[in-house]
Parts: sequence; C-alpha cells; structure tokens
Amino acid sequence: MSDDNQVNITINDQPVTVPKGTLLVDAAKEVGVEIPVFCYHEKLGPFGCCRMCLVEVEKMPKLTTACTQTVMPDMVVRTESPKVVKAQQGVLEFTLLNHPLDCPVCDKGGECPLQDNTFKFGSGTTRMEFDRADNDKVTPLSPVITIDRERCIACQRCTRYSDIIEQEQALVMLNRGFKNEVHTFCDEPYATRYSGNVIDICPVGALTNTEFRFKARSWNLDNAETLCAHCGCNCNMTLGSRTNKLMRIQTRPNDLVDDGWICDKARFGYDFIESEDRLLEAGTVVGGARKKVNALDAAVQVADSLSKIVDEYGPESVGFLGSAYGTNEELYLYQKLFRSVLGTNNLDHKTYQDTPGLPIDHYDFLNVETANLVLLIGSDPAEELPILDLRIKKAVTRRGVKLAILNDQKTALDKFAELSSTYNVGADGAALSALANGLAEGGAGDESVTGISAEQMKSLVELIRSGKKVCVVYNPASLTGNSIHMLKHLLSVIGKIPDIECGAIPAAPSTNAVGAMDMGILPDFSPGGTPADKGLSAMEMIDKAESGELKALLMYRSNPVVDFPGGKRVEAALKNLNLLVVHDMMETETSQLAHIILPSNGPGYDEGTTTNIGGRVQYRRRGLNTKNLPDWKIVSKMINSLSEEPVEYITSFNVTEEISEKVPGYGEINKKSIRKEGKTREPVTSVNGSVPQVEKVNSADQGLKLRVATRLFTRDKILSTSSPLAHHFLPSTVNVHADDAAKLGFSEGDEAVLSANGAEVRAKVEISNRCNPGAVIVPMVADDQGVQGLAGGGSVSWVEVKKG
Amino acid sequence: MKILFKNIDMPGLTSLSVYEGQGGYQSFKKAFAQKPEEIVEIVKASGLRGRGGAGFPAGLKWSFLAKDVFPRYLVCNADESEPGTCKDRELLEKNPHLLIEGMILTSYACQVGTAYIYYRGEFQHAADLMDKAIEEAYAKGYLGKNIMGSGMDLDLYTHLGAGAYICGEESALLNSLEGRRGEPRLKPPFPAVEGLYAKPTVVNNVETLSAVPWIISEGAEKYAAIGTEKSKGTKLVSVSGHVKKPGNYEIVLGMSTRELIYDLAGGIRDDNKLKAFIPGGSSTPMLPADKVDVGYDYESIQAAGSMLGSGALIVMDHTVNVVEATLRLSYFYMHESCGKCTPCREGTRWMWQILGKLQAGIGTNGHVDKLLDICDNMSFKCFCPLGDAAVGPVASSIKNFRSDYEELVKKLQGGAVSV
Repeated sequence: MSDDNQVNITINDQPVTVPKGTLLVDAAKEVGVEIPVFCYHEKLGPFGCCRMCLVEVEKMPKLTTACTQTVMPDMVVRTESPKVVKAQQGVLEFTLLNHPLDCPVCDKGGECPLQDNTFKFGSGTTRMEFDRADNDKVTPLSPVITIDRERCIACQRCTRYSDIIEQEQALVMLNRGFKNEVHTFCDEPYATRYSGNVIDICPVGALTNTEFRFKARSWNLDNAETLCAHCGCNCNMTLGSRTNKLMRIQTRPNDLVDDGWICDKARFGYDFIESEDRLLEAGTVVGGARKKVNALDAAVQVADSLSKIVDEYGPESVGFLGSAYGTNEELYLYQKLFRSVLGTNNLDHKTYQDTPGLPIDHYDFLNVETANLVLLIGSDPAEELPILDLRIKKAVTRRGVKLAILNDQKTALDKFAELSSTYNVGADGAALSALANGLAEGGAGDESVTGISAEQMKSLVELIRSGKKVCVVYNPASLTGNSIHMLKHLLSVIGKIPDIECGAIPAAPSTNAVGAMDMGILPDFSPGGTPADKGLSAMEMIDKAESGELKALLMYRSNPVVDFPGGKRVEAALKNLNLLVVHDMMETETSQLAHIILPSNGPGYDEGTTTNIGGRVQYRRRGLNTKNLPDWKIVSKMINSLSEEPVEYITSFNVTEEISEKVPGYGEINKKSIRKEGKTREPVTSVNGSVPQVEKVNSADQGLKLRVATRLFTRDKILSTSSPLAHHFLPSTVNVHADDAAKLGFSEGDEAVLSANGAEVRAKVEISNRCNPGAVIVPMVADDQGVQGLAGGGSVSWVEVKKG
Repeated sequence: MKILFKNIDMPGLTSLSVYEGQGGYQSFKKAFAQKPEEIVEIVKASGLRGRGGAGFPAGLKWSFLAKDVFPRYLVCNADESEPGTCKDRELLEKNPHLLIEGMILTSYACQVGTAYIYYRGEFQHAADLMDKAIEEAYAKGYLGKNIMGSGMDLDLYTHLGAGAYICGEESALLNSLEGRRGEPRLKPPFPAVEGLYAKPTVVNNVETLSAVPWIISEGAEKYAAIGTEKSKGTKLVSVSGHVKKPGNYEIVLGMSTRELIYDLAGGIRDDNKLKAFIPGGSSTPMLPADKVDVGYDYESIQAAGSMLGSGALIVMDHTVNVVEATLRLSYFYMHESCGKCTPCREGTRWMWQILGKLQAGIGTNGHVDKLLDICDNMSFKCFCPLGDAAVGPVASSIKNFRSDYEELVKKLQGGAVSV
C-alpha cells in the first residue's frame, strides 16, 4: 500500500486496511467482527480496565486488549481462538461474579451490554458459590440519577466522562479493590449540566434515570428519533413513550451536531408536555370570558379579523410576533400569511437587532474542533448552548485548539481560554470596533470606553493573527444597539486577513433562531435573507401598539409581557390592541390578554424541520400523539381562507417542499436529504453594507448598567417548580463588582432592590468581579423574577441598586 | 563484597559530614567532567539492573527518555511494600546521603531538574531523616542551582504515599504523586516518554539509585566484574521467616540460596527442616526445599520457576501449612488490588474465599482445580502485574504442595469436619 497513513492487518483471516492509529476494536468493526467491550467508549478513548476485549495477536506473548492496541503493519489478529474464548469466558465470569442478576427488574434489561456479551461470549453458567457482594441498591447521586452499586462493574465510563468530556471530575472512584465505588466528589450532588449522559453510557443498569426507574421495559417503548427543542444546538435524541406517555429521553448520537451527548435540560426538561398550564383548546374571549371553539373555526375567524383590519387601516396596522421556538414549516407559513396574503412586513421574532447571513463562511459545529482558534464573543455556551460548551471544551482539551474570549461577563469557559477579555457592559460595539481596527490597522481603542487595556487588545489581535483557521462563535442576543453591524464588520475584517480561513457560528440561544431568520421572520428581510422594505421590529410593534397605530398582533409562541424589555408598558400596549391573537402551547401572561387563542402542539407533539446554529437542517419527529391539529394546518387554514389559490398540504413535508422551492439556500433540503444526519442549508449571503458608527452608550445620572445573564435552568413555563431539574433553580441574585459594592456599602448576601422603568426586582448581592465596574449582572433565574421589566429595550439599560 | 552496606552501621552516617568522611559525594568531580550521555553509557556498561522487582537494565531505561523533551523528572520509588522486603528502608534510614548522591548523578545523566522520592506512607521516620539530609545537601550546594559549578540545577523533594501497595507500580506511583487516584496507567506511553505530568520520567528503586555513586567512582568494569554473566553487582536480600538470623544481607549475585539461608541467616530455626521458600518477595512463586541450591541471581531463579523480584527471601520450615500461608498471602492481594481491572478485582477475592474454605477443611479437590483455573483466567490478563503477583503464590503452592491441599480435602471426606 503506497499510502503511509493506511495500515494493513488481518483479523480472523480477513484482510482489512484502516488508518494509522485505529484501535483494533474499531478495525474489527470494518470487517464485521465484534469484539466485546464494557469500559471502551469511542468518545472516551482507550482505557483497558474491563479486559473484555482481549484478543490474540501473532508474535505477542500475551493476549492484548483490542481497545488499547492500535493497528501495526501486518498484524495478525484472532478474536475467536480457543485462548481468546477462554479469556472472554473468564472475564465474563469475573464480571458476573458479584453482579446481582436482577435483570428481570433492571431498567437496562433488553439493551444491556452485559446481557448481550454474556449471551454471545459467556459460558452460560457460573461457578460462584459464595454470597454475592451486598451493596446499596438505591443511592441518589442527584435528584435525577440513582446508582445501584450492586450492578456496577467499575468500568469507569462515568467517571471518565465527567473527567474527560465534562471536564468537571464530579464523579470519582472511591475505595479500593472489590470495595471500589462510584461516588460524587466530596459527596456533593452530581449536578452538572450534562450529568444524564452517564445513564446512557453505563454498560449495565447501575446508573439509572430516577424518573424512569422501574417504569417500563425498554422493549415496550415506542421510540421516536427526534430533536431537542430547548436550544440552538438541536441535539438528536430518542423520545421513548409507552401508551402515549413520555417515559424517557436518551441520546441519539450525531457527531455532526451533538457528538453523542445531550444536556440535562434535553433529557429531564419535559414536564411541560403534561403541564396543567398547557393550552389545549382554541377559544374566543367574549365579554371577558373565554369560550371554547373549534380550532379551524378559530383560524378562519383570525384570518377574517386580520383581513378586515387590513382593509380598514392598511397592512401596516397588523403585525406578527413569532418566536425562534417554532419549526421552519410553521414559521414559513406564518411568514407567507403576513407577507404575501396580508401584505405587511411587520414580522419579527426577537427583541434585539440581527441580520441574516455572514460576510464569511457559516461554520458548522465540526469547525470548532478543526480550527486553530475559537473566538467566543458575548456568548456563554454553558448556560446558553450546553452541547456547544462540551464541543469547545473538547476542542481545547483534546484537539489543541486555542480559545479567546471577548465578553462583558466572566463565564465558566474562561478557565479554558488562552485569553479572556472583559469589555464594559454596553461597550460591545466599541470593543468590536476596537478589535476590528486593531486587526485592520493597529490601535487598541479607548480603554476608558471599552474597558479592555491596550495590552490585552494587542494580545487578542496577535492571537487572532496567529491562527490559521479562526472559528468565531458569537451570541447576537448579547449585543446591544446596532453592534451586530459592527460584529459583521469585524468578521469581514478577519475574513480578509491573508492566510487566515475564517467562519462564524451565530450562537443564538433559541432553538430555531437561524431558521426563523431564514424563514424571513424579520422586519427587513424576506425568506433566505432577501432584503425587503422595512416593516416594524418587535419593539417597534409594541411602541406602535402603545400609540394605537398598530391594531392587531398575532403572537406565535411568544410571551412579550414577561420576555420583552419594558415590563408593564408592554402589557399596557397589548391591551390597547383591537385584536390580539395568541397561538401558543402554554397559558402565558400574554395569552391572558388575548381575544382569540389557538393551541400549539410544541415539541414532542409537533413535527417539522429546524435549522441549528451551525446551519444544519434536521427533522424533529413527532414522539407523542395528540388529537389537536398540527400548527401548520391551523396556519394553512388561515392562508387558504384568504387566498384565492389555496394550497393543500397533506403532511408537513409538503410545506418543506415549498420551502425548498421558495426559500433561497433550502433548495437541497427535502425529506430524503435530511433523513440521517440532517443537511446544512446553503448559507445566506450577507448584505451587510457600510461600517456603522459606534453608538454612544446612553448615560444615566445614577445607577449601574444592567446585564441580564441567561441561565440554562430557569424556572419558567418550560421548567416548572415540579420539574425534576428544580434542584438547579437559584434564588434571585445580583452580581456586583467589588468596587461598586464598596461604593454602595454592600456586603456579600445583602438584600438589594433593583429598580428601573417603574419595575422592581429583589435580589441577593453576590460580590464578584463577573463584570467590569459600573454594571451589575442579574442572572435570569425565573420568568416571574421580573428582570426583563427592568430593561428598557434597545440599547443599554440602567438600574438603581439600593439596599433592600 | 559490600557496596551499599559498606559503612551501613557507622554511627552518625545520616549526617552529611560523616557521610563525606567516608568518601561520600566524591563522585561528582568525575561525573561532571563527562557528558550526561557518557554517564548513561557507564551505567549501561555496568550491567546494573533495576532492584525494585522487574530487573530491567537501568542504563537502558534511562536511554529510552524521549529525546529533547523537557522538563524531565526523576522519581525514586521508595514505596517498599512487597511483603518480605525491607532493604530500602535500611538504606533510607541509615544512609540517606547515598541515595541523594545517586539521584544527583542520575539527574545529571538524564538531564533532570526536579526529582522526587516517593515513600510508602508508613516511612514517615525515613522521610523525616531524608528531609534533614536534603537540607544539608542544599546548604552544601549539592542541590539547588548550579551544583558544584556544573551548571546543573536540581531540586529534590520527598513525598509520602497514603498506604497502597499498588503505588509501588511505577505508573500508579506517578498518578499518586500527581494527586490522582493510585491506579496503574495504560502503557504505552511508558514513563520515559510520558511520565510525571506527562513529561519524560525515570522511575528507579532506592537500591538501584544507591548503587550509582559506586559505579561512577569505581567504574563500570569493576561493577560488571561482580556477579554472574547477566546478573551483575551486589544485591540486598531481605531474609525473613523461619531462619535464625533474619535481616538484610548484601550478597554478590549468584551466591547459592543455601549459603544465604544456612550461612548468612544462620540456618532454619530450631534446626527444623526447610519446606519451602519464596525467593523474591510474596509475588514470586514459592519453591520447594529441593531447589535450595539455586544460585541467587535473576537467571537461575527464573530457571528454577520463580523470580528474584525485589530480593525478599521468605523461608518456611516443615511446620508450615502451605494452604494457610497462601490464604494469608491471598488476603494481602485482595486487600491491595486497586480494583481497576476485572480479573484482579474479582479474582483476588474469589481465590481468597475458596482458600478460606479449603483452609477451614470444607473444600474439595474441585476447589483446588477451580483455583488453578481462576489462576489461568487471571494470568497475563490483568491490567498490571499485581494480578499476576496474586496468582504467583496460589498457583505455585498448588503446583509444589498439592499434598498440603489434599490433606485438608481428606479431612472433609473423612468426616473429621462437619460442614
């Protein structure tokens, strides 16, 4: 073989050629030879402790473990020789020696590697004549994971996962010999953001899902290959149900998206599916009372009412507030209803500025690992996009990728960064501009504005320049004012540096933020990033509702009363509308104000495609049945009742077909092409034009700038107080810089009252230098915390912080 | 011929001045006049082998260090825990400067800037003595920056383990030294390539490093002239068990075991009959009395079916019930198995359970055969040598003393013991 990177070996007399460095256990798969394993997991790397994979290699004096031995030229491997068979039976006998054999009641039964390996490679009998080890059967490691210590075979997959993948070392082995046990570090609860993955990788029934324990046999589950709908990663998962009840959620590895992991919110955050607050019926409000109506009738009524308002006040008088939680199909149809049928461009799905397309490559997740440098801007992946967080940790700890961070707050990833610069809250535009200028022509910006020293800025510029391949990951939702334009300018500057390949991932936290932009749920762009005459943005629609110019709003899975800046003002504005339609899956503060209510199915019950932040379009399959109509049917009913050329869609894929036809970039997206791993859509070309001026940060006479920080586990409509993840909920806190705390006379733990806009939020003071002086960070811990009410919307918000 | 124990009982030898008075710390001049690689060659030529148990040529081990990768570390393995072995302890407690000198020379040869001595947890006294000796060596300029104007820097630290036999295995030792769980690491990479903190590391036993000053001062040829063809030099042997004068003896490799037992150690207690001996520490297979003329060197003992190991000769007279002795040894391995790999974790316990049954007189011949089969399922199938070590006493006791087992089995068949 002329290729130096390929190695020829034979396994059980079958020749096989594999890349250098391949482990025997993986090489064997190439020729359909199964070498049994327990401790080996391809994501965790070789370890060699369970000894299940012993094989015979010619010229080696001892049997060797196939999970630790890499291929060597002309190796002759035997996996079925008498020596190997004896060893396999021996190891299995040892493994089962003190294993309880309570398979009939074990959650792992039917999908257990120990059962399967014993079936295929074991002797079927035991010579054990002593009492089996008597260990604890039920020990919670956390509220969601329970360990059965008798079943544990000490393969250390879980402890290695916590060490290597999570980089937390939250699970450790304790004690020695046959007394060794998996424990949490210092007996703290195992409460990482991704703890549940150990349940899936446990090769026996030791680590069990507390929610699922003893609920069902695995072979009786109906499994739907679906997607997580919590964040912009769109991790693949399997939803297992029994008699239409959700039983459990597991990983469904897709290396291009999730690398085989899901976060705990994906796995345990599903109690909304059966929440009492679900909106299940369409209704109309007459005289303050809600009356149940048929959903299709309600849809027709919505269409008629909107059309009447358009006739009377013009198309500018109606608007659509969508959300990045809908599927592409649902959002596309709403876009069609409002733009094509009703003739308005008043569409938006967010309260911050964003524009589709990038002046450089739109990178997918894999590029995080293949880059030399990841530049993280304004993003906190651990709280916003947990599986991206794991991918970045992998890149840094195992792929030698450098990490540079530019943010207004310190995050958990800082300790992995080569360089981490903190700009002043609200100075994102200035910091991005300084960096762009530094890269283009030198200079470091004004430290008194940006909060970043000239020296740090210089190091950051040098670090970026030293990278051959730079992957920028930015969170558009953390940028203020028009900074998104500055960011896109920065991207084009980096893209123009000779010999640097550069791409970016717009790491917006919401599920389908990229899809929502692609589908044209934007005031200034039609689907596919085609510029359109500018309609009203979300915040402008609230303004116009307040002033009475906007007469009707349709909210699709959006809850502005709580989620929008402005607080009470938003509620008052909505009350001012002639028509408020809310199409949602939950009763919300906004649905309480609605005139017409439409039920939305939402994740679990719905189906359709979503586009993740890497631009990958995947299919979210329905996991549970519902009698309710799919959302897209309700929207298409509205369209058809107004349109002269009705289009009947039989399945959601019919809508996908229309997207494929009509939306630039989605031409290759169809049922077949996205089936397995999804497919990346063609990136939208940026239409970002001239370099914007840095907006001057508005100042206030007193008070501090407010930064609301996203948290993964927020108590809200999705994770209620009865959620199994409730142990992650935190009380309301405010991070105050030590300098400001000294000025304000605050000590750690003091009660503070934050006020602005007529809204008040109480919070415990945490003195930490999480942000630069002059600002406070308030983590969003609950939707009724009211923190969005403090924000004014638009640019930087100021709050007054007083002792409570 | 005494090299390591030349002045071992001299009063005050632990102090630097007395040690120097006996010619200590004189090897530097000669060593620093040569290139590090030349020192490695000298040690190679001397034929010095690792005295910790495996007997791997020391100079060769040094030459495996990853080229041009720095920093490098030297770690002295003072986790002397093999049952029967107590030679390092005597060196450490009575002549700490000899080890320091050996470590300075080895660090020079291997271009090491930081060295550690990893003590078994119980060696607090020895570590305290060593800390004083290290302090003196720093004060004299033998440690620290630019040692004796050679341009070589060396810092030396002591570290106490927490009481685990497995930490005598070099990669588990490195884990423990780094503050991790004491479990053996996957090899390759070997410590010479990725050892302490993933940097090239030499790990040598106390006795090995203590032999280096003599080799440098007297020359490789002189050392190589001692002993047998492949087992060069002298070896400290800890003789224990049923002898009249148990203790540590420095012998020239190749001396007959009979001479060791009957001359140096004064013969069997009460002039009893020799029944069995374990030549190289509890991990090495036991041998019957008729092998007593075996030469005490690596090759001869191997040919006789055992190993020289760490040089701990455990002598058992005819009063010993081999099954009981094996039961006690198997308890040790069960207790010390780290639990990382399945065969060792489960097998050591199972063997101990079965041996307990046999010793209680309620076992059968089937149990003896089962033990042999468990030994076969463990042999060379464990992650590290501890598993094989645990097999050693069980398999060899059955092979050589099956009659002792059958004696106990007969009791059951004869109805002497009720089940």
